[in-house]
Amino acid sequence: MSAVKPYLLISFAAVLLAAEPMRFDQAQAFLGQYCGGCHGAKAVGGFGLDKVKEASSLARDAHSWTRARLRVENHEMPPKGAAAPSLDAREEFAKFVNAELKREACRAGFQVGPRPLRRLNREEYTATVQDLLDLHMDIGGSLPADGAGGEGFDNAGETLFLSPLHAEKYLETAKQAMDYAAKEFKSRKRLLIAKPGEGLSEDGAARKIALNFLPKAFRRPVLEAEANEYVALFRTARSKGEEFEPAVFYMLRAVLVSPHFLFRNEPGEYALASRLSYFLWGSMPDELLFDLAGQRKLNRPEVLRALVDRMLRHDRSQNFAQRFIEQWLHTRELSGDKRPETATLAKGTEIEELLGDIRLQPVYFFREMLNRKLSLLTLIDSDATIGTSNLEKHFGFKMPLDPGRRKQPQWAALPPGTNRGGILGMPAVLAVASYPYRTSPVLRGAFILDAILGTPPPPPPPNVPPLEEGKSTAAAKSVRERLTQHRANVSCAGCHNRIDPLGFALENYDPLGRWRDEDGGKPVDNTGELNDGRKFAGPGLLRTVLLERKDLFARNLTSKMLGYALGRGLTLADGCVVDAIVAEVKQNDYNAAKWIEAIVLSAPFRGEAEVKKK
Amino acid sequence: MKRRTFLRGTGVALGLPWMEALGAGQNPVRMAMLYMPNGVNVPMWTPKGEGRDFELSPTLSPLGDLKQKVVVLSNLWNEAARGGDGHYVKESAILTCRTIKKTPGADIANGVSMDQVAARQAGQETPLASLELGVTPVAIGVDAVVGYTRIYGSHIAWSSATTPLARELNPRAVYERLYRAAHGVGADTAQMDKLLLDRVQEDARKLRTRISKEDRHRLDEYLSVMRSLEQRVERSAAGDKRNWKPKSAIEAKGAPPERPADHAEHVKLMLDMIAVAFQTDTTRVATFMFGNAVSNVSFRFLEGVNAGHHDVSHHGKDPDKLRQYQIINQWHVAQYAYLLRRLEGMREGDKTVLDNSMVLFGSALQDGDRHWMHNLPMVLGGGGGGRVIGGQHIVSGEDTPLANLYVSMLEAFGAPVERFADSTGPLKGLMRT
Repeated sequence: MSAVKPYLLISFAAVLLAAEPMRFDQAQAFLGQYCGGCHGAKAVGGFGLDKVKEASSLARDAHSWTRARLRVENHEMPPKGAAAPSLDAREEFAKFVNAELKREACRAGFQVGPRPLRRLNREEYTATVQDLLDLHMDIGGSLPADGAGGEGFDNAGETLFLSPLHAEKYLETAKQAMDYAAKEFKSRKRLLIAKPGEGLSEDGAARKIALNFLPKAFRRPVLEAEANEYVALFRTARSKGEEFEPAVFYMLRAVLVSPHFLFRNEPGEYALASRLSYFLWGSMPDELLFDLAGQRKLNRPEVLRALVDRMLRHDRSQNFAQRFIEQWLHTRELSGDKRPETATLAKGTEIEELLGDIRLQPVYFFREMLNRKLSLLTLIDSDATIGTSNLEKHFGFKMPLDPGRRKQPQWAALPPGTNRGGILGMPAVLAVASYPYRTSPVLRGAFILDAILGTPPPPPPPNVPPLEEGKSTAAAKSVRERLTQHRANVSCAGCHNRIDPLGFALENYDPLGRWRDEDGGKPVDNTGELNDGRKFAGPGLLRTVLLERKDLFARNLTSKMLGYALGRGLTLADGCVVDAIVAEVKQNDYNAAKWIEAIVLSAPFRGEAEVKKK
Repeated sequence: MKRRTFLRGTGVALGLPWMEALGAGQNPVRMAMLYMPNGVNVPMWTPKGEGRDFELSPTLSPLGDLKQKVVVLSNLWNEAARGGDGHYVKESAILTCRTIKKTPGADIANGVSMDQVAARQAGQETPLASLELGVTPVAIGVDAVVGYTRIYGSHIAWSSATTPLARELNPRAVYERLYRAAHGVGADTAQMDKLLLDRVQEDARKLRTRISKEDRHRLDEYLSVMRSLEQRVERSAAGDKRNWKPKSAIEAKGAPPERPADHAEHVKLMLDMIAVAFQTDTTRVATFMFGNAVSNVSFRFLEGVNAGHHDVSHHGKDPDKLRQYQIINQWHVAQYAYLLRRLEGMREGDKTVLDNSMVLFGSALQDGDRHWMHNLPMVLGGGGGGRVIGGQHIVSGEDTPLANLYVSMLEAFGAPVERFADSTGPLKGLMRT
């Protein structure tokens, strides 16, 4: 790796930065020029520009500004046939509106934001039923998988729909779960806490059982009247000739189909207990959280700080690390469409074991980073990683692994000069941003812009005309040659000049993330040329460049994490919260544990707005 | 157990006297849509000639023996899918003909899909209103490049503008579901299930009054799916009074394996489930997705293919990619032909189940390289209860609304609509009137 020349970094950073932002008077000129014809004096469609004429309208009428922005940004306006602004002008206008509205929102302080009613997703449902019944099986495995929304996670309330298929599966799964629980010693002990007998009627016993189970299942206190509605089910079953126990399990089965169980809608501090628990554990709150909420002692900074520390150390935080990392980095797809082809692996490779280690590496890395209280920047570059004996072989060098458990994923120092520090040295990431059978500088470059920096390239224009039938089209063979051709097309060059060089810097990693100096018999060319014509090369320099952009990275990662924690997409006002968290984390040397604390202590997470003092 | 063995077991029509008495003309019409992602290699798709005098193209050649039972449709388009991005806008609108809302999820919006219009009409007459099937799980995440939640690309069936229908991916689970639905449960079990469902709906109704207006639609969704489940439980418990009877037996021991790892095998098993469902009349409406939008499933199991689906669809006129693209397209057509043949092999009176079905196959893109949504590749198979004029290549006027086809299909199905999305009338030349 050649030494990094500082001027390269500066020029590269400049490429990633936006141009001079639009000003209010320029935005007015933009609106007048492209919208004035219909929305000036005539106010066609009920929208007149007078609504957004004054600077004060940014504070007063965010709604009108947002609608105008969406129309422009989505190419819905101006209508077909009218003079249209350039792609860049549309972007600049959209950026202006977002920046101004956010500034207005931040001026007011930190807001709680929306709280969409949210059902448990498939993983949360499974973990919760397991915890409730003390059963250890994939109880929700037959439920349909959930899609994702918001910041890209499958716990986003907005996109957790219910289909007829869900209803069927909830009914069946509840029955299966209770059938298993009825036979399992540990589950029985947890559920059947009362027996009819001396001084206790059957109804009385059933009521005791309901009053023990319902608050746990509904994650809040339950009044006797509410429990009695379930006891009525028990009584009906008894009257139809069921024995005591089957009648009890029938009653409990209904609890697992109730909206109070399936939807998160807890009152007061119980909501915070659930939010914390589903965030860091992916499951229901434990007794301590429940009790603290009951005593109204939960929503206190010092209590929350101590809890975050305790919860992150608990085994259950593995759920959190796995769900966040596998969705943020898309590595979940490695077991689906993106399963890499393994034909090129050496004979005797334990393929499934290796793929498992590859998939878990970033997950364990993330968890170690939190528990060791390391800097978030270790995700970009680090002198240690997660190693196993399989990964050692895959990487082609030795790591100081614990001889007693060489197959177990573990934190291990990296020898110098290995290019394996941070997530961009991990096969999981390198594979998911490749095709299963070849690397793609475009996919990897776009991955860095989107997942790492949070600056996704704009979409390719819809209905792109086919590439010009050039004389050399058929002759071009290598990916680099084809991409060079692609960039010769002006409408492609704008974005591909940003995307491709980043991806080329990673060309030394094959689709399985193995290091290579040659590809197809030729030396790997890991160089790229930036927009301004300067050269840049290899993963080492790429990391250095990304570290220069650490604020962008930290902001992106914080947005993702806040979206995951809240289970919804972020609003402009949430952007103020993100900025504050990033500023705080920066002061704490990007300490990852402090970062999670800051998320938990934020206004939207705690559910308390913080009004700024003037 | 081998797939073919189990299907033989279930595939025997019982020939019940009451059924024959209805007469073939009164057999119900079924409707299915098989969706293929990523468009087609256009020159290899388009048949030569039009009307009854046409030649199947290389890509459509697997339909050779079925030529008289299919109609190839040219020049249909989906205007609502014109803007937006290259995939999500097109693919999620293939059955809705609506423009989806660009959103990472908070305010997802499409339209009701045509299959669900049919299911609303016929759903009460069969144990299951409709079947939504696929082979790849819902794509996770938000496509930040274009700003759409990937939920759009994973669903073609929408029961309301805001509710995409979850798909079943496990053939064994589908079979068990069909079995349970067809057999119903004992009267006692049904009554207990009904009481339980009453209880939880009561919870939801009370809860509904205590939550914000914006959240109510979530509980409405809950109430709606629980109520329809309850109705089904009730119907299935009615015992002898049930007015639905399976048109052929479905046996528990015929269940297929769980999701196989092999893509081709998986697809075949799911198509088998449509055949079983239609033959038994457990449902009359089905949708199947060969993959999600932008699917890059590797088709290296096909000879001559060394890349993934989406990858080769962006062929850039590269002859080798175009060749592979065509092989993949043709493989999909062969699977479609497999389903048609299975339905053709199922007798129903003096006709076949295929004669009483309409099975649409197509893609929401024409040339995947250009994300083109003019002249969509579409084939309709089956007789639609004697209505469809098979054995022709209908070349409609340029940019004829795809919705016109849906108006015709819904009419033949028995769920007529005056308009569907941007339709301008039924599709000319398709149906006997």
